Amino acid sequence: MTVPAVTLAARRREGTPLLSVRDLQVRFTRRGRAPVRAVDGVSFDVAPGQVVGLVGESGCGKSVTSLAVMGLLAPRGVEVEGEVLFEGQDLLALSSDELRELRGRDIAMVFQDPMTSLNPVVPVGTQVTEVLRRHAGMDRGQARDEAESLLERVGIPDPARRLKDYPHQLSGGMRQRALIAIALACKPRLLIADEPTTALDVTIQAQVLELLKQLVAETGTAMIMITHDLGVVAGICDEVNVMYAGRVVERAGRRELFASPRHQYTGGLLRSIPRLDAVRGGQLTPIPGSASDVLPWERGCAFAPRCSAQDADCLVPDLELTLDDVRPEHRLRCVHPVPPPGAAL
Amino acid sequence: MTGGGDVLLEVRDLEVHFPIRSGVLLQRTVGHVRAVDGISLDVRRGTTLGLVGESGCGKSTLGRAVLRLVEPTGGSVRFDGVDLTTLSPEELRRSRRRMQMVFQDPMASLDPRQDVESLLVEPMRAHRLDGGPTAWRARVRELLGLVGLPSTAAAKYPHEFSGGQRQRIGIARAIALEPDLVIADEPVSALDVSVQAQVVNLLEELQERLGLTYVVIAHDLAVVRHISDEIGVMYLGALVEQSPSEQLYLQPLHPYTISLISAIPVPDPEVEDRRERILLAGDLPSPAAPPPGCRFHTRCPFRQPTRCDDEVPALRELAPGHRVACHWAEDVRDGRIVAAESAHDPTAAGTV
Repeated sequence: MTVPAVTLAARRREGTPLLSVRDLQVRFTRRGRAPVRAVDGVSFDVAPGQVVGLVGESGCGKSVTSLAVMGLLAPRGVEVEGEVLFEGQDLLALSSDELRELRGRDIAMVFQDPMTSLNPVVPVGTQVTEVLRRHAGMDRGQARDEAESLLERVGIPDPARRLKDYPHQLSGGMRQRALIAIALACKPRLLIADEPTTALDVTIQAQVLELLKQLVAETGTAMIMITHDLGVVAGICDEVNVMYAGRVVERAGRRELFASPRHQYTGGLLRSIPRLDAVRGGQLTPIPGSASDVLPWERGCAFAPRCSAQDADCLVPDLELTLDDVRPEHRLRCVHPVPPPGAAL
Repeated sequence: MTGGGDVLLEVRDLEVHFPIRSGVLLQRTVGHVRAVDGISLDVRRGTTLGLVGESGCGKSTLGRAVLRLVEPTGGSVRFDGVDLTTLSPEELRRSRRRMQMVFQDPMASLDPRQDVESLLVEPMRAHRLDGGPTAWRARVRELLGLVGLPSTAAAKYPHEFSGGQRQRIGIARAIALEPDLVIADEPVSALDVSVQAQVVNLLEELQERLGLTYVVIAHDLAVVRHISDEIGVMYLGALVEQSPSEQLYLQPLHPYTISLISAIPVPDPEVEDRRERILLAGDLPSPAAPPPGCRFHTRCPFRQPTRCDDEVPALRELAPGHRVACHWAEDVRDGRIVAAESAHDPTAAGTV
């Protein structure tokens, strides 16, 4: 099975975006203290059939972005601004009832931990048929048959028996498959996968990623893949958004990003991870400090305190995400980008 | 395997079987979870042995059993010539000074109500280190310097540090008594990617400066390969392959290792698109009832009829220092047996 990246890229060029996130801001307000800006002006598009990655480390705002898109943030203590246009309709302006209609039918989500996102006291089958009856208007019998074929499609052996099982009777990989089955039940046009394989072992991760790849290729569902694992990104995403401190710092196609990472943070990340296929020996090149050593964006580049290329020029207030003039396939928020491979220093 | 005086740790036929009890009052033992089931390996002084495997393979239990933090139910562990399994509790306590452990989650393994100084002094007090409180406090400064923290850190509490700094404190505590052996159980997996490399480098620096011997337990083969001289691959409580670190990646011999390596995502789209991925069918069987014959035969894409199902493969040395427990390792290596399309699971098995 070959990767459908080429066909997807072709499909992407044709249409208008399925989802368009415009200047999304999410602030968590705290009594008596300055609010925490978890997402700080994030914009990106997802075309039909496209797999878009949101990559970054803990606290960079990638998960909060997806929760805001789905309208799943608690109403209290959270301020959301900007636009989330799904086929032109602003999801942030919808009522919770309208949103509930859309969720599960047009947009579905797969979370990291399948044990906490499945109901432990309801059989798996009921959780699948529930979606089908609610959103696709099937009767009990139809829904049961459809659920069985869904479980079979995601690679759960003996689906008829498994429908009666409770979540704790399934293994981790199997639970994640069940969750994917539920997410795909109504043939959503957008699937948001938030670290879908992080809790799984590598051999199971490989199975689940392969499954997601196949399903996206077969059904033409668009996908937002949220992960911290650059290896996962390299295998599945068409376009990648690298996030740092609540903002997108670099955006490029998958091949382009890995061939020539331009933001110092992206470059630093790629240098810091040991690679299985690289020649062994020598020290790793870590990024100094930790994700809490950030500069507020209004004072300069948030990554500057940890960056090896930073100087006084980096203290530009609210640095923009602009077209990279050296590698125009990139969008970049960096004053001193990593030179492209082969360039003279 | 190399023998002789340079072997610091010698594990022979180590077994840890946890009883499964049933019933409310009588608590009859109805079976055993064979977490570690007959493992033998050597660790040479000043080197690093990496243990990899997926959750439930017994790698953490093996690490703990070596230090007798869980009691082995069989076999022996010789540390610098002394059999730890026969020591009295007091003798064991004294010998623990020379073997320490670094845990995965430094937030959970450091007492949140003690400041760093008291956290680091505690092991010195427990082992009545020479010099008394004044010398201990001086040693705290020295330790903080060794792990790259400022001496002002001594007065702070664990919650005031980032994950990477907390792991540095955990490491400082482990090396406080100048041990010979440090067992690190998933030392970086709770940390952010950009910070993992800092801790990996620190572990390597300390090994060089202090002549430490490491056993590093992790699920991330890329990290383990980077840090280890030798790697042991575990599956369902058994060692299925052991080899010098470079060799394991260049020529994995056990079908499980081959599949494991092929499943690890590499941050390079060119490699990812070209790669032939061997997907394993199904899930890990229960360690309470491991499959007969070769434990891996239920998922093995190279499985051959009858022998794999009936006969337990011995760990054989195929190349110097490279041991593998597979009946067909030579045939798999030379391409005489190829991975089969698995019939168990149509969407997620076979070669891709």
